[in-house]
Amino acid sequence: MRRTPFLSSFVLLLIALILSLAIGSVFISPKEIWQVVLGHGSETFTSILWKIRLPRTVLIALTGAALGGSGATYQGLFRNPLADPFLIGVASGAGLGAVIAMSIHWPYSYWGLMAIPLSAFVAALLTVFIVYSLARVGNTIPTTNLILAGVAFSSFATSLTSFLMLRSTGEVRRALGWLLGGASQSGWTAILAIMPYLLIGIGVLVFSGHALNLLQFGDDQAQQLGLNVTRTKRILLAASSLSTAAAVAFSGIIGFIGLIVPHLIRLWFGPDYRRLLPLSILGGATALLICDVVARVIIAPQEIPVGIITALVGAPFFLWVLRHAKNQGYW
Amino acid sequence: MLRKTLLLTLLIALMTACAPQATATTAPVATTVPATEAPTIVPTSAPKDIHLTDGLGREIILASPAQHVVSLAPSNTEILFAVGAGSQVVGRDEFSDYPAEAKSVASVGGSMGQYSAEAIVALKPDLVLAAEINTPELVKQLEDLGLTVYYLKNPTTLEGMYANLGIVGQLTGHDVTELVDSLKARVAAVDEKIAPLSSRPTVFYEIDATDASKPYSYGPGTFGDLLIQRAGGVNLVTLAGIADSYPQVSLEQIVATNPTVIILGDSMWGVTIESVQARPGWEGIDALKNKNVFAFDDNLVSRPGPRLVDGLEQLAKLLHPDAFK
Repeated sequence: MRRTPFLSSFVLLLIALILSLAIGSVFISPKEIWQVVLGHGSETFTSILWKIRLPRTVLIALTGAALGGSGATYQGLFRNPLADPFLIGVASGAGLGAVIAMSIHWPYSYWGLMAIPLSAFVAALLTVFIVYSLARVGNTIPTTNLILAGVAFSSFATSLTSFLMLRSTGEVRRALGWLLGGASQSGWTAILAIMPYLLIGIGVLVFSGHALNLLQFGDDQAQQLGLNVTRTKRILLAASSLSTAAAVAFSGIIGFIGLIVPHLIRLWFGPDYRRLLPLSILGGATALLICDVVARVIIAPQEIPVGIITALVGAPFFLWVLRHAKNQGYW
Repeated sequence: MLRKTLLLTLLIALMTACAPQATATTAPVATTVPATEAPTIVPTSAPKDIHLTDGLGREIILASPAQHVVSLAPSNTEILFAVGAGSQVVGRDEFSDYPAEAKSVASVGGSMGQYSAEAIVALKPDLVLAAEINTPELVKQLEDLGLTVYYLKNPTTLEGMYANLGIVGQLTGHDVTELVDSLKARVAAVDEKIAPLSSRPTVFYEIDATDASKPYSYGPGTFGDLLIQRAGGVNLVTLAGIADSYPQVSLEQIVATNPTVIILGDSMWGVTIESVQARPGWEGIDALKNKNVFAFDDNLVSRPGPRLVDGLEQLAKLLHPDAFK
């Protein structure tokens, strides 16, 4: 497995995709699934598979990929093992945007429903942009400044979100579900809406491994090695924020995946970002798919927000891997 | 700066570029819903058509009364059973626990607002009865799956509740005249007993006192408030001039207003008269001194269904025991 990281990652992802399609609160046997695939399954099962499970599987996989990739990028960019995709405000900004949109009573229509993810998306990007502008010193972006500005501004946005939630009693349930990482909308609409941003963001990240490797030497040395540090940072921040904001807008805030998946990959396959980045993208998708399956079946037919499961299942698993890792000084 | 502007323009362009594309993909889905029903309703059974506008302003057309209904809220389940459609209920949300028969109906989830669309589709309902606790996103999802969803808006008055009974009766093919008349008669009987009384005790209704220094209560616009007044009481929240629907009332305010009666809507969570007496700072309140603290089934005021009338009767008895002997 360790010799063929890409092959094994693809196989694992494939298994997760199949599990995600096969398992749900309604039991559909492999034989019946095969019949649906061939086009002569029962109407109910066809509807469940094509209209409920498949779009959800795709949305979850894309979200996981965005979180895994952005997590690895942020950890490399900030040279900080605690960095996750939400470090400089994507989550808190998106949360604020979503709750503001929820407090307005939109008429029931396509745009009325789209107002929430759209507002979350725009607010997330706006937050990152504000944090970036606040942290900038002349033409450089000191990492410490960025983290501190991010954390401070995030806290501010989170407080504002809590305040708004307290004031609008009727919408708390809706907001809470969203903030815990439950998909606010499902079906193909959501996927088509976020696809462009995710693909642009993830596409840039896949090829940023070399730049991130150089950044590990520190800003000055990376500059001396011929990297335009400020421009690279800017591009990486934009790409990861774009894909994370798009993912978060529809899936809500899903914690832990973006933090832990890059660490797992690092423990297993080493710290070379040329491998770490694409593997974190694949691993993020796989991990979130598995968590989502658990969220669907753990108390079926009841489903629970996947954001609860990611840490519930992910933390013990990660701790186990950490405990048994041979290269303890891996970071 | 130029690059920033370029980036922003690119973003906006992308956003607008993907939007109509997404609209286009949903449009056919939305139109297929009525289209599949159209052939059955237009030519022959036109007079039988059930044509209603729901709480989200959506036009709902049923060719005939629904025979397989999924209820997404406890109040909806209670209404369905009350109008006589209990045997037509094939699915219910996790919290629907009344009447007892409802509990044997298949659950489709519902805690933390998460329902299983798969489970709902598998039940093949011809009507999904949603309520205000359900999000518009859920309605949209079910609608896109080709299901007929009626979103029943919460009533704010008893008249509104009767109207909802009528709507559900119409959707499921039951006449509710008798039911509504009997409910109205019971309310009138309470009104008649309360009207001549001169005393109007001050009532504090406790929904949740996890933080006993500022418990939650019912304010204006809720049935909790409405029924306390109708039962011949004065709601402490209104008396204190609080405008929120579900306010947290500070203990200071409660002690200062000194309620005659305390109703424990949280008794189902284990709050008892003894546990209230043990709370520091509460001992001076008249309701506690005179043991006018009562356990109460909060479902009778929180679920906007026919059992609101039970709630009214029970509250009236607690506030004016002598008049109801």
